[in-house]
Amino acid sequence: MIRKLPLLGLLASLSLLCSCGKSGSEEQGQDKPASPGVAASAALPTSPFDLVTKSGVEMVYLPGGEFMMGSSQGNADEGPAHKVKIGAFAMDKCTVTHEMFTKVQLPNPSHWQDNPKKPVERVRWRDAKQYCNERSLLEGLKPCYNEKTTDWDCDYSANGYRLPTEAEWEYACRAGTDGPYDFGAPDKLRQYAWFVDNADEKTHPVGQKKPNLWGLFDMYGNVSEWCEDVYSPTYYQESAAVDPHGPPSPGKDVKRVMRGGSWKASADMCRATFRQGQRTGDTDACFYTDFCGFRCVRRVTAEELPPLKANSK
Amino acid sequence: MRMRLFLLGGLLTAVASLTQTAGASDAEALQARLKALPFKIAYESYVNGNWEIFVMNADGSHPVNLTKTPDLNEHYPQVSPDGTRMCFVADKGEGRDAVRSLYVMDVDGKHRKKIADYAREPFWSPDGKVIGYLDQEFPKFNVIDYYTKGMNFYDLETGKISPHPNYTNLHHLYNPNFCANGKWIVSTVHAGMGFDHTILLIEAHGNKIIDLKIPGCRPRFSPDGKQIAWGSSDNEISAGPIDTDSDDPKMGAWRVHIKDDKNKIYHSRWSPDGQFLGFSRGPDGEGDVSKPGTFQAACEIMGVYAPGWNIGVVPAQQEGVIDLEQTTNADFTMLTTNGLSDKESAWFLPRKK
Repeated sequence: MIRKLPLLGLLASLSLLCSCGKSGSEEQGQDKPASPGVAASAALPTSPFDLVTKSGVEMVYLPGGEFMMGSSQGNADEGPAHKVKIGAFAMDKCTVTHEMFTKVQLPNPSHWQDNPKKPVERVRWRDAKQYCNERSLLEGLKPCYNEKTTDWDCDYSANGYRLPTEAEWEYACRAGTDGPYDFGAPDKLRQYAWFVDNADEKTHPVGQKKPNLWGLFDMYGNVSEWCEDVYSPTYYQESAAVDPHGPPSPGKDVKRVMRGGSWKASADMCRATFRQGQRTGDTDACFYTDFCGFRCVRRVTAEELPPLKANSK
Repeated sequence: MRMRLFLLGGLLTAVASLTQTAGASDAEALQARLKALPFKIAYESYVNGNWEIFVMNADGSHPVNLTKTPDLNEHYPQVSPDGTRMCFVADKGEGRDAVRSLYVMDVDGKHRKKIADYAREPFWSPDGKVIGYLDQEFPKFNVIDYYTKGMNFYDLETGKISPHPNYTNLHHLYNPNFCANGKWIVSTVHAGMGFDHTILLIEAHGNKIIDLKIPGCRPRFSPDGKQIAWGSSDNEISAGPIDTDSDDPKMGAWRVHIKDDKNKIYHSRWSPDGQFLGFSRGPDGEGDVSKPGTFQAACEIMGVYAPGWNIGVVPAQQEGVIDLEQTTNADFTMLTTNGLSDKESAWFLPRKK
């Protein structure tokens, strides 16, 4: 009959499976360009660096800081550009892959199942949150999502994994820069992203393109990424200035924010400030949106940093 | 035996039709037809904070709770072709720690026996000697319908469990059931076996797999194995002919049989005489996590609380599309009206072992 895998074996397997990006990358273990903003806490490092979680998932520590969110030159929902302050957090280096998803015993809903290192897609918003909770439990962390509430309300004070807020996602994507892409000219997008011009109408294994300035792979293209926030095209007119969490949920027919563009997105849709509202699919047994993926974040405090660093390469 | 059951059911249906009283409304005529039937209908319902299996008469009268197990949540009753036994699944525990197990019992609820843990979506062989079922994909519970791998056959006489010859390639199936000649199993697949989402014919004792290329999910063979009914969308049930004696069966010209633009309609089930199609019907939703023993997902999924859902029935052989929002009661009737998440009906002609 079915036996539960010994936890240690599972963790060891995960550590082998969850490496992302180019092996021996020159970024690993080294500090990246510093955040231009103000660190949330003087006790925390002010530069990004790689870390590896207890279950072997590669993440990047991102220092807190301040940045201009949105764009006054983009689509109507991207404005007004506004100052936002973000606390320190860690973000998955790559989007969650098939093998990461199934290792926490969730069924892989993806359309393309030919390579376990491809990003999981056709993921409902709540499925993504369930993954976050399962990974938290696997690592002995407190899950962020309350599964006994309709929207699986997020406890931002918990030390487990969760989806990024829209502000955290854009802050991470911009990596201290202020243009549409952190790498500069749009004609370089092919080096950083699988999008409509080069993806051949499918997803690709994560970590094959160049990372952004803070070492995050696939922030542009491949799969669009769920964020925690409710999507509102006018939210930037009223957004909180510090760690905004998006507008309150209106109840039914909620759209949540997706960011980053996908294999089927134009270069314009891959811009750091491009916003998309997507229905969660939570009542849809057949969620066919084969561009919906995600990556996780978790809070980092001065007390939590040493053990995280200890696991790092 | 099967032929005798069909003949008996057909005869009784015909008698019921002939005995319609002159001047009675069409709705009363349908009710009278149903009342005259010897069939019963098993279904799952959420009562007093617990999922139970009920059995009622074909006209919806006299529902009886067969399970009454406050510590277990029973689902998905499937009755043996000879009408003597019922297999089903029961969930024990909550959330990710719940365990879904396969059981069998007599159709009166007696002689209940557990067959397997981490087992889902049971179905009967045409001779009633074997219960097929799917293994759960991983030990941790997940409510999603396609959270399965492989397929097994449990021999009721010997207690032996044998894997399907193509076990390792069967993945993410749900709602399997045998055709009458035992050659084929029809099933939905979702994100597995190289398919996005489709309805498959799976060779019962071999490796052949045929994509029927029809839209939707949850197919169900008619008792004679010559038709399949299934949900062609959230709001439609379709049916069409198929030749299961062939080594390469294909769907014939199929059509939408029932539609409902307002509610979801799911879980199509044939009456033993093939004259009626039962279904579950209710509003869209994603469950209510405050209710114990339930989960959040699309409300048609087993284990998801579906407020306002009831069991209905239409004549199976009626021409044209029966629009449940437009038609008169002559064309359909709701057999339950309590809205207690009544789903997954199974018609049968009850018999003692």
